[in-house]
Amino acid sequence: MNESTPLVRVRGLVKEHGDGESWVRAVDDVDLEVPQGQTVAVMGPSGCGKSTLLHLLGGLERPTSGEIWVAGRRTDGLSERALARLRRRSIGFVFQAFHLVDELTAAENVELPALLAGRSPRAARRRADVLLEQVELADRARHLPSELSGGQRQRVAIARALANEPQVVLADEPTGNLDSAATLDVLRIFADLRATGQTLVVVTHDERVAATADRLISMRDGMFVDDTQLAGTGTGRLGGLVGLEG
Amino acid sequence: MGRVVLVVRLVLADVRRHKTHAAMLVLAVTAATATLALGLSLYNASQSLYVQTRAATAGPDLVLLAPDTGPASTAALKTLANDPDVVDHNGPYDIVYGTLTARGYSSSVVVHGASPTPGAVDRPLVTAGTWVRRGGAVIERGFATALGVKVGDRVVVSGHTYPVVGIAVTAATSIYPWSAGIGPLGGPSDYTGLLWLTAPEARALAGRDLTITTALDLKLRDPDATEAFRLAHRGLSVRLNLHSWQFIAVQDGHIVQNTQPMLVVGGWLLGFLAVTGVAALAAGRATEQTRRAGLLKAVGATPGLIGVVLLTEYLVLSLLAEAAGLVVARLVEPAIANPTDSRIGHVVGPAGLTLAATTALALAAALLTTLPPTVRALRTATVAALTSTAQYSRHRPWLTSLSSLLPTPLLLGLRLTARRPGRAVLHSCSTAVTLTGLTALLTFYAQPVRGYGIASSLPNGRDVVDRRLLLAVTVLLVVLALVNTIAMTWMTAMEARTSLAITRALGATPGQVSAGLSFAQLLPAVPGAVAGVYVGVVLFAFTSRGPMSMPPRWWLVAAVLATLLATAALTALPARLAARRSVAHTLSAEAA
Repeated sequence: MNESTPLVRVRGLVKEHGDGESWVRAVDDVDLEVPQGQTVAVMGPSGCGKSTLLHLLGGLERPTSGEIWVAGRRTDGLSERALARLRRRSIGFVFQAFHLVDELTAAENVELPALLAGRSPRAARRRADVLLEQVELADRARHLPSELSGGQRQRVAIARALANEPQVVLADEPTGNLDSAATLDVLRIFADLRATGQTLVVVTHDERVAATADRLISMRDGMFVDDTQLAGTGTGRLGGLVGLEG
Repeated sequence: MGRVVLVVRLVLADVRRHKTHAAMLVLAVTAATATLALGLSLYNASQSLYVQTRAATAGPDLVLLAPDTGPASTAALKTLANDPDVVDHNGPYDIVYGTLTARGYSSSVVVHGASPTPGAVDRPLVTAGTWVRRGGAVIERGFATALGVKVGDRVVVSGHTYPVVGIAVTAATSIYPWSAGIGPLGGPSDYTGLLWLTAPEARALAGRDLTITTALDLKLRDPDATEAFRLAHRGLSVRLNLHSWQFIAVQDGHIVQNTQPMLVVGGWLLGFLAVTGVAALAAGRATEQTRRAGLLKAVGATPGLIGVVLLTEYLVLSLLAEAAGLVVARLVEPAIANPTDSRIGHVVGPAGLTLAATTALALAAALLTTLPPTVRALRTATVAALTSTAQYSRHRPWLTSLSSLLPTPLLLGLRLTARRPGRAVLHSCSTAVTLTGLTALLTFYAQPVRGYGIASSLPNGRDVVDRRLLLAVTVLLVVLALVNTIAMTWMTAMEARTSLAITRALGATPGQVSAGLSFAQLLPAVPGAVAGVYVGVVLFAFTSRGPMSMPPRWWLVAAVLATLLATAALTALPARLAARRSVAHTLSAEAA
């Protein structure tokens, strides 16, 4: 894959649920290209299909039809096993509900993807320590999720998503369960990631999150209705408005 | 009345919602109580059959055996027949010891010389064909069943061929294969079947160098005073063997002397399996029960009523299962209490102490498993109960560090096991019980096969019965253990579905997840299997009579490996199904 090849590419993507009266087309013939290093925000009302789109990109759901390419590899027809391997190497996930393992400490949660990828426990723990330092939670490494605030849990989840240095991070409503202060913490982390060239696809209905992106896609009824390039440098005027200095 | 209706409605609704749990409880408790009831009531059933046969055949109170047919023996017997304590008698009649061949089998046989018109004492009941006539033989029913002989077949007795004209039962001898009434000078000590010929034909048979003794059946004024009669007539000039009806009844019980401990111990093992399985189910529902209790408290139910609602379902199902088990025992008992077919009558069925034991087992299965989560539910404050979530084991850093060193499936398996250590212990116990049964079965098969002596080619009836029953009990143990294993795997998979979905989202393959679930069952199964082998050997040694041969070591190793492989195979399907659930749906459902 060369630098001009999009990291994420989607053609004619469709996802349908249910049958009869409960039939719904959650994603309706969507095309998308995400170049390497770009931060894309996908916004839309509840039920418009943005989370489903993210799940399809990450291989957590199977499309009804269409093509999905991640890191130069077509993924829509891969087996579950191959998709799991792809997620290990190339994709990091951040969920709205954090989805940390309750009986593992913050450090143990962060090192989990590295262990699944076959890294030695020592290497996995070293990487976890570095990541927790980056998200300013080094002093909470030995705490269980129940001992952390919502914002701290989401920062641990972000650190976990970065454990295997993924090519793309998919974040589904990362600030949906957070208060304003915690939201700003997460936004700063995303801004730092963007600055390092990390490719991000963020689903959100929070405009503050969208303000940190390079590109804003609006979604309605399963379709893209708008696709706007935002200011190319730093966080732009919108970022400044929410307190993030570019 | 309203409260009773409410309790009934809530219990029925819960049973409808958890049909599989209810079925598991009923199946397990039914098997356990049926086996236990059979074991405890077997001896009394055997005695009851003897008493009924005795009544139907006018069985004698005493059978006297003289050493020979000489005048001194005959005179001594006649003197006793005229004793004031004797109200009636049969004989003296000849008993000849020979060899019988029929349908490819050979056996020792004791031939009684009988009158074509039996008297008031010892009237064998003909169950097929007719009574003795000249040129025809009548075979005792247990003996006929062992040989596979019917009316019309031919048998050869010490070189003489006779047609079988009838099949009959009697209470004058012990059941087959203990029909030989050994005279005071000994006689064939091999296991022996009984056959009747006319008196002249029996006497003619004796002319061929076969041992012959004389017998006399007595009816006493007081049937229970057989011991007093024996003591009163010690020191006779001729040495006689006296077999009382009480002795014969006790001898009957020997056919079940191995069967009874098998069934009693088997019953308790099955009960233990029932408790482990149901306890795992109840623990899995603890959070739901706590919420239910919170809901009932919130709408005004008293702790007493809530306790009744939570406990009633399991108590009622257990007691219904106990009733079903007792019915099964009642139906199966005749075949087990009368394995040789030598007796007639109907068995009364379990009663008294047996009922108390089975009720205790059923109540234990219900209370031991539901009382702890019920008490916890009642003690939880209402608001906390309404928002109750599953409580998993606390963080164990050493275990997490250890699991980090392992490949992914083992990592997942170890961490899944650590979430519910109680369930792991129950699964280990369940495996131990299974191996206990299997080891006992293998040890039994390792014992030398005892025949009926060199004169007999028939299989040892008691060993045949023991093998079948031990096999049946072991099969029940294995089936229950399999059900427990599948249920526990499924519960583990359901409880861990969110964690496993997260793990899959982070890169674990479905194969690794299902392997992890299988390992979560295998890890506690290994120590359980090893412990079960030792317990099985000790239990067999404790209940067996006489010296014991150990089975070859590789048999036991094979049993352990087979059990572990079966566990892995059984867990593979529910684990695979759980691993294929959509990650997105699972996580979305959890977040909702």
